[in-house]
Amino acid sequence: MSAVEMIQLKPGDYKTDLKPVWCPGCGDYGVLNALYRSLAKLQIEPWNTVVMSGIGCSSRLPGYVDTYGFNSVHGRALTLATGVKSARPELTVITVGGDGDGMAIGGNHFIHSCRRNMDITYILMHNEIYGLTKGQVAPTTPTGDKTKSTFYGNPEAALDPCELAISTGATWVGRGFAGDMKFLVPLMTEAIAHHGFSFLNVMSPCVTFRGDDQFKVMKEKLQNLPEDHDVTSRRAAIYYTREEGVITQGVLYNTQQPSLTDRILELRELTLGDNTPPTTEEIFETFYPPF
Amino acid sequence: MPTGDLVLAMFGSGGDGVVTMGEMMAQAGAKDGLDVMRVEAYGPQIRGGESSCTVRLSNQPIYTQGDEVEVVVVFNWQDFLRFKGELVVAQDAVILYEESDTTPLEDVGLSLGEEARWIPVPFIALAKEAAGTTLAKNIVTLGILSEAFGVPQALIEKAIVYKFSKKKAAVLEANIKGYKAGIEWGADIKDRVTDRYLEYEPGEARLLMSGNDASAVGALHAGCRFFAGYPITPSSEVLHFLSEWMPKVGGSIIQTEDELSAMGAIIGGSFAGVKSMTATSGPGLALMTEMLGLASMAEIPVVIIDVQRGGPSTGLPTKSEQSDLFQALWGSHGDAPRVVLAPADVEDCFHATVAAFNIAEEAQMPVIVLSDQFIAQRRETMSPWSLKHEVVDRVRPTDEELAEGGYERYADTPTGISPMTWPGIKGGEYQTNGLEHTEDGRPTSMYLVHERMNEKRYRKLRDVRAKYSYVRKYGAEKADVGILCWGSSKGPVKEAVMRAEAAGQKVSAFVPQVLYPFPRREFEEYLKTVKNVVVVEISYSAQFYKYLKTFLDLPSDTFVFKRSGGKNLTVAEVEEKIQKVLELSAIRREVLV
Repeated sequence: MSAVEMIQLKPGDYKTDLKPVWCPGCGDYGVLNALYRSLAKLQIEPWNTVVMSGIGCSSRLPGYVDTYGFNSVHGRALTLATGVKSARPELTVITVGGDGDGMAIGGNHFIHSCRRNMDITYILMHNEIYGLTKGQVAPTTPTGDKTKSTFYGNPEAALDPCELAISTGATWVGRGFAGDMKFLVPLMTEAIAHHGFSFLNVMSPCVTFRGDDQFKVMKEKLQNLPEDHDVTSRRAAIYYTREEGVITQGVLYNTQQPSLTDRILELRELTLGDNTPPTTEEIFETFYPPF
Repeated sequence: MPTGDLVLAMFGSGGDGVVTMGEMMAQAGAKDGLDVMRVEAYGPQIRGGESSCTVRLSNQPIYTQGDEVEVVVVFNWQDFLRFKGELVVAQDAVILYEESDTTPLEDVGLSLGEEARWIPVPFIALAKEAAGTTLAKNIVTLGILSEAFGVPQALIEKAIVYKFSKKKAAVLEANIKGYKAGIEWGADIKDRVTDRYLEYEPGEARLLMSGNDASAVGALHAGCRFFAGYPITPSSEVLHFLSEWMPKVGGSIIQTEDELSAMGAIIGGSFAGVKSMTATSGPGLALMTEMLGLASMAEIPVVIIDVQRGGPSTGLPTKSEQSDLFQALWGSHGDAPRVVLAPADVEDCFHATVAAFNIAEEAQMPVIVLSDQFIAQRRETMSPWSLKHEVVDRVRPTDEELAEGGYERYADTPTGISPMTWPGIKGGEYQTNGLEHTEDGRPTSMYLVHERMNEKRYRKLRDVRAKYSYVRKYGAEKADVGILCWGSSKGPVKEAVMRAEAAGQKVSAFVPQVLYPFPRREFEEYLKTVKNVVVVEISYSAQFYKYLKTFLDLPSDTFVFKRSGGKNLTVAEVEEKIQKVLELSAIRREVLV
């Protein structure tokens, strides 16, 4: 055996023995499987990885991944992720959650996370409905749709998470479908490998509250981005987030911008570098009258 | 007869340089080894508006800002009047007021004794004439104060040189001229104010810090390497200080989009193995309360400094109150254990913050430090030797222990404290959540587990109580009047107790520094030593009194002195209550006989 033992991690190695609570046929199974495969593809060390979530069906996901995991509070996953990454920039941080969690109660945190461009991956499981609370309208539900909380149909307009991410500063934005693993796995792998804030919107059908044909409906609308799409063009990227009647999948936007994670490290290097940090006594010294 | 203790207050509009003047005096005093306390007060305006600054200089240890102002500088009577309800001017005070302000003195409504000295001063004219600008009137005033009242003259000049050394030479020169003109003018009134001339033996230079400074340094000392915060008066100085220092010690700092995010971020930071803290005020704590429960449930050590201000809602953002007590103690959905500490002065802010980290790390739960505007934003002198505090670090299971297997993040141990790993520790991976969970962290909704885990989480407080029952007691061993107070009320209460003792009265005070878990045994022992009990607090609804009643057998005839914040507690107020309690209890005894 060589001095350094290389253990090849397989997708199954990232599984915990906890059984998912999701309904049979839920799109989130696809996302979870894609995540196992992406982690294995990148050979990400479980002990140096944190998977974060808020509250919702999809937010149960961290319990099923054998890394460090935190299923936190509704809408707040990105705040915890921001803390983990600020405090320990060397860790791999992946945040997951649903569209109600991320776009409604967590909307403010989402836009600021995009803006900060920390090196975090955010995977949104998008099903246009609140599943865990059993079927209320979400900010992504199409206008007019009947839900448990919109008896006469949804009177509000829907937002598109990808459009919001691109316009508020995320540096990698992609869209995939939980029912197309061949396409989703490389997409998710690219998202995790991206340096900066990467946002992957996965259309993940809710067969219980959006009808058992949501899979079929979404699949039919699926359309790949044209090959000549310029991923560095914000305008082109936003155009494809809002195409009528289709769900465009692929890498919508991909640029490199300075990340807050880098800035934190640069600042440390600049102010501390290889020097010994000041002692408490030295800090106290600065409070003597300066003259 | 010169004095060894002098209280000066200055009033003006933003731009009059009132605060700068106070800062220079405080620094000069600290440099000369005096005990100094400097308190600022503002209106809520962003720029301009009224501002005031009170400086007490003493050759003896001081615990308060001083009840009565002995030297008053008024640049503008209108500004002075806005603070009128908040201060007491000594009957024999010296009032230096702007000569050109035409407000009739009878409209000022200051009824002072015959001995008071009303001295009109041409601040504006002197500044214009000597320095060529009215902006220098605060510097002129410093000249007057140093010559006539003994505020360290040579050091004030050094302070002026320091302040203007980065500006053009002409600016410095003009200000020095203004200063000299003030000295010259001051010489003419010196004979009239000899009783207010500060006399002392210079000593070793002292540190001059605010409570917010002390909290920030305490955090760094404790090993805090991640701070997340959202600006809010009166806590923002903690954020400001750490924005400079956190990178210098190899840590990280982030200003979040709101207080929800700040709380989430520090829970994340601490989960990742780094000691983490935030600082806020009441409205911010309200938002953080959501995830306070998460920190309790997931057993993540975090420190939250709440610098209280007048409330509810936006309330009195720039002024102090002790009315976040209930929010800190009980604010939560569900049963969420936390520890609440209460620093009582600037130095305490350092110690309480370090202790907060120690407790948080040991007990794996949130610790709230209930500071307030009164101590957080005033500046006090301190001696470096008093600023030492042992630091406790988080303990992790060893690699050998982890290799043996069976690691359970929430293992139910006799103390309730479970082993804890964090990212980077191989073999220590665990998935946690805000759901009720079993010992291995798996979600559950079973009643039996919930009951047992609640009991486990609360059991951790036993060790905290046993190890950290910090209380302070002052005054007579057996007392006729025992005062119960907390936090910043300590200063005026302590001074009142000392004065009462000097006058031969038997008075004592009990000041817990740990509010939850309450140092119950110490408190019960204390109650046995006092005949009458009076609770003193700055909360209109008497939160502290009600809190004490929740757990403890207070005598049925306990007196309560409570009032709203917005005005700092004074020694005279406390003394008055002591007298009242003595009188009333005498009447009571008469009746009983």
